[in-house]
Amino acid sequence: MARQLTAVSDNHEMTSQRMERRSFLKTLPALGLLTACGKPAGTKLALNWKPEPEFGGFYAAPYSKHGLQVEILPGGTGTPTVQMVGAGSVDFGIVSADEVILARSKGNDVVALFAVYQDSPTGIMAHASRNLTAIGDVLKDGTLAIESGLPFARLMKRKFDFSHVKVVPSPGGDITSFLHDEKFAQQCFLTSEPIAARRKGAAVKVFAVSDIGYNPYTTVLAVSGDSLRKHPETAKAMVAAVREGWRAYLDDPKPVNQQMNQLNPTMDLATFTEVAEVQKPFIETDATRSSGLGTMSRERWETLIGQFKELGDISQTIPAEDCFRLV
Amino acid sequence: MRKTLLPPLIPLVFFTLTAELLVREGFVRAYLVPAPSAVVRAMIDSRVELVQALLSTSAGALAGFVMSALLGIASAVILSSSRGVQRAFYPYAIFFQTVPLIAVAPLLVIWFGFGIRTVIASAFVASVFPVIANTLSGILSTDPSLRDLFKLYGASPLVTLFKLRLPAALPQVFTGLRVSAGLAVIGAIVGEFIAGGGLGSVVEIARTQQRIDKVSAAVLLASLLGLGLFGLINLLSYLMLRRWHASEQAE
Amino acid sequence: MTTTISGGVAVYLEGVRRVFDNQRAVIAGMDLRIEAGEFLAVLGPSGCGKSTLLRMIARLSAPNAGQIRLEPDAERFQTAFVFQDAHLLPWRNVLANAALPLELMGEAKARRDEKARAALEQVGLLDALERYPAELSGGMRMRVSLARALVTEPRLLLLDEPFAALDEITRFHLDVQLRDLWQRRGMTVIFVTHSVSEAAFLANRAVVLGRRGGDIKLDRRLELPAVRSNDLRGDPRLGQEMKILLGAIEE
Repeated sequence: MARQLTAVSDNHEMTSQRMERRSFLKTLPALGLLTACGKPAGTKLALNWKPEPEFGGFYAAPYSKHGLQVEILPGGTGTPTVQMVGAGSVDFGIVSADEVILARSKGNDVVALFAVYQDSPTGIMAHASRNLTAIGDVLKDGTLAIESGLPFARLMKRKFDFSHVKVVPSPGGDITSFLHDEKFAQQCFLTSEPIAARRKGAAVKVFAVSDIGYNPYTTVLAVSGDSLRKHPETAKAMVAAVREGWRAYLDDPKPVNQQMNQLNPTMDLATFTEVAEVQKPFIETDATRSSGLGTMSRERWETLIGQFKELGDISQTIPAEDCFRLV
Repeated sequence: MRKTLLPPLIPLVFFTLTAELLVREGFVRAYLVPAPSAVVRAMIDSRVELVQALLSTSAGALAGFVMSALLGIASAVILSSSRGVQRAFYPYAIFFQTVPLIAVAPLLVIWFGFGIRTVIASAFVASVFPVIANTLSGILSTDPSLRDLFKLYGASPLVTLFKLRLPAALPQVFTGLRVSAGLAVIGAIVGEFIAGGGLGSVVEIARTQQRIDKVSAAVLLASLLGLGLFGLINLLSYLMLRRWHASEQAE
Repeated sequence: MTTTISGGVAVYLEGVRRVFDNQRAVIAGMDLRIEAGEFLAVLGPSGCGKSTLLRMIARLSAPNAGQIRLEPDAERFQTAFVFQDAHLLPWRNVLANAALPLELMGEAKARRDEKARAALEQVGLLDALERYPAELSGGMRMRVSLARALVTEPRLLLLDEPFAALDEITRFHLDVQLRDLWQRRGMTVIFVTHSVSEAAFLANRAVVLGRRGGDIKLDRRLELPAVRSNDLRGDPRLGQEMKILLGAIEE
């Protein structure tokens, strides 16, 4: 699934870099030590976008403390993380819950381990001057830029009348068209494009896609079912490290923001700070407070699977318990 | 007929059967490589959508290609007029060749909007340079003795251009057009990724739905479009050159 | 004894000098008087400036010093040039190729086709009018080139080793035809060649240029009969002239 985090900068960059740079954890002194203490061979984690606050916890995680040596591979538009995990070219990957369901229905055995975003940050951003009150209002007129293939788009097509709006492809984080046209609304990540737009002086109104009842876990750490069966201890160590990392990042995002900014200079440090703050309610919810960061529930998965069945994307229901594992 | 069609068909049949077998027996995972039968099924199931998309992409690619042909040849004629003009402007022509299309496409959307105009612009940008380069080369490599001949009988530079240099350049013009045809299709599809519509849109949407069979079906149609355009150019080349150019003479 | 026939153009070279970019003086001050109606052969080793000389006489390039006068110089297109290769326009048929000079001079189609037909008849190609250069033999193409040169009824005909690439029998044949045409029309012919036998057979005057700078090593009236046929090939007088010419070249 294409990611919608924006690159807030004056060059309206839209890149499709595919793992062009390898990042190594720099701030954690423990890492970088290729000691002979029997550490496991490098573990690869593939991100589905450039290093940004949504991945903060992964960069903050104390991997070596849990006996892991992790190499984080940044991604970009269209990075096929769910296929990469399934094919075994990486050990772990960041995907979204809907990708997991779709993949499993096609025989790609991937399993979700840790959900960073408890609520989907996907939304639609419109100009405040249009005085819209509900998500369906963006369809009254003007242009709507969405990825028509995504489930939420298709759910919207079922629920609402699209005959008065012009649908165009999503600009993938680029807000130029949005800024030039008052009647232009676009798909966005609630934690990024609105911030970028406000920065440029536009007053925006955002609607969360979860308003229409579609709320997949997002920025989910996934592993292949095969790996999970063969090396459950690696998965367990990974999740433990990641959980600690997220705790650390939520408490103090500054050092890791610096590090990620080095890796991704297209987003300035001030934006890193702002986004890290704005994303907190998505990550830390009542559910995580009781069951721990990254937790997932069977009900949520079942709801999602049901929605996919309704959309006709999967022919038969798949068991929710196959989709995720809490280790 | 048999000589041209049969040889390419043999590897095609071989590879198709092999791919089908590998996927069916599970040696290759279906979500990574689609079985040919699945691609065919996707083509049949989505035929209405695919045909419509094919027509849309064809229109965009063809329009962009025709623009490339006309503006490309015209530009080459202008460039051929003097060394100074060439030195000043040829580097900009090269720019069309080297600019990464996927980076330029979002700019095209800002100028031309979401729709077929951007698709045409994208197809044009992708395909114009080979026409310019080949046509210019053809015009500049006119036989100097023939140029002397024209000079001897007082032909003006314009007359020399139209009666000698352009006809002499025709084989190379066609070489440029052949290369340009395929590029126009690619350019149209890239444009569609950003601006919507056509096969590019089908690929993009199917990709997000992880429907690799449909993606393959759309890609296959795009290739056939490129092939069709290429064949058209070849036909035109044959009709225009057959009486006099070695490239179209019978073996 | 030979006689010159009037009806052609006289060419006077006075102190003609031609230098190329690398400062090499290809022709370093040449004086030469060619009378109207002469058939002049120009001989010399490669690089001695024969072709350069011819091009300057044709006004395709200008001398750096000195002058070349034509007398009379009234008519605009009185000079014709035959190149070493036929250099026909491959996309036009034989008739259109032969008519090209008249077309460039602006003559109407009916008239120029009629004149072209007449010229082609003179070189024996009347039944090949519709054919294209690619379909012709080397000898036939050269004959078209000759017809093309004659179609304007030139008073000065310049030939730069025109038959060099042809086989001997065709050469002999064309030699006779050229000599015949010259006698009937009375134009001035300047014929550059490598071949001593050809020069002796065709010309009534021969000039041998030195290795460098275009200095004239020999300027001789050939002592051969006015009417020449292939019988002359075996005549000892021809052999004698050839010996003299060869001697001058080998110096």
